[in-house]
Amino acid sequence: MRVLLVDDEEELVSTLAERLAMRGIETAWVTDYRSALALVEKEQFDIALLDVRLPEMNGLELKRLIEAKRPGMKFIFLTGHGSEEDFKACSAESGQEYYLIKPVQIEVVMAKLNEIFRP
Amino acid sequence: MISILGSANTLGLFFFGSMSASMSHEIKNALAIINEHAGLLDDLVRLSEKGKPLSTDRLKSLSANIGRQVQRADNIVGRLNRFAHSARQPVITTDTKEIFEFTAALVDRLASMNSVTITVGMDVEVPMQVRPFVLENLLWVCLKTMFSMISGPHSIEFKAKKKDSDVAIIIQFDEGVPVEMIGVHAAQEGQPLLIALRAVMSPDVQNNSITLTMPRKFEE
Repeated sequence: MRVLLVDDEEELVSTLAERLAMRGIETAWVTDYRSALALVEKEQFDIALLDVRLPEMNGLELKRLIEAKRPGMKFIFLTGHGSEEDFKACSAESGQEYYLIKPVQIEVVMAKLNEIFRP
Repeated sequence: MISILGSANTLGLFFFGSMSASMSHEIKNALAIINEHAGLLDDLVRLSEKGKPLSTDRLKSLSANIGRQVQRADNIVGRLNRFAHSARQPVITTDTKEIFEFTAALVDRLASMNSVTITVGMDVEVPMQVRPFVLENLLWVCLKTMFSMISGPHSIEFKAKKKDSDVAIIIQFDEGVPVEMIGVHAAQEGQPLLIALRAVMSPDVQNNSITLTMPRKFEE
């Protein structure tokens, strides 16, 4: 399973990538939408974990652009909303199937990844 | 007059909501980073229990990172607290530079999300009597109108100068910003605030700026 992590908080995304790698997940991380698009152009990923609030372009718009390049790729949104209820009430992205509320425990991320790729 | 005050209060509520949401997201980000560093520490300890040597340099670096994020979160909470108190602050005499610096700090994340850099360019003090929250609200209306009309990196400079018994607050944009459109929309949305501040908004297309002219002395 190859996972692309996109969040403008470099310390967050690099540390999460390291912890996922410790658990056998192959990851790459970037901090802006341009780098994310350039990377999916060159490399194959099974899933992208996208911050909802990215500079210049939100996570949902980025998802649409990535989907156009890589149909079939899966997405999980990371959001800084106060709770799942707030996220659903306030976000256009709330219709998405998979999302996680920051701060998120690694076991929850792993469970979500396994849920998506359950055989 | 009641409806103008009501509209100003509604704008104030939107302003308060936008700033609170932005700052709470920033705090969440700092907490999320602390959470990852703490989790990584835990992972490293577990690995050391299985025989992998634990690097003291790595521990020091993680500890420093956590400390830095705690400081960051504390700064945001301090700003949020000051902002919350300012909502019920009466008319005070203050230096406009202080209001500009606080507004720039408040909107820092939202500005950077839109690739906008805000600076304060003032060498001399320009004191004025004002309800800081109302002026900050009006500056926010101008900024968010700008954010909705631009793409790509831009910069803004806040300046102020005395002009007889008034103060002229200048929002200086760089090239390529639709100053007239921003002026029209911001004046329309911010009308109750302009009335509350007894201010006039004048876009200057040639100089890429918007000037807010208002009395330096507040009179009921």
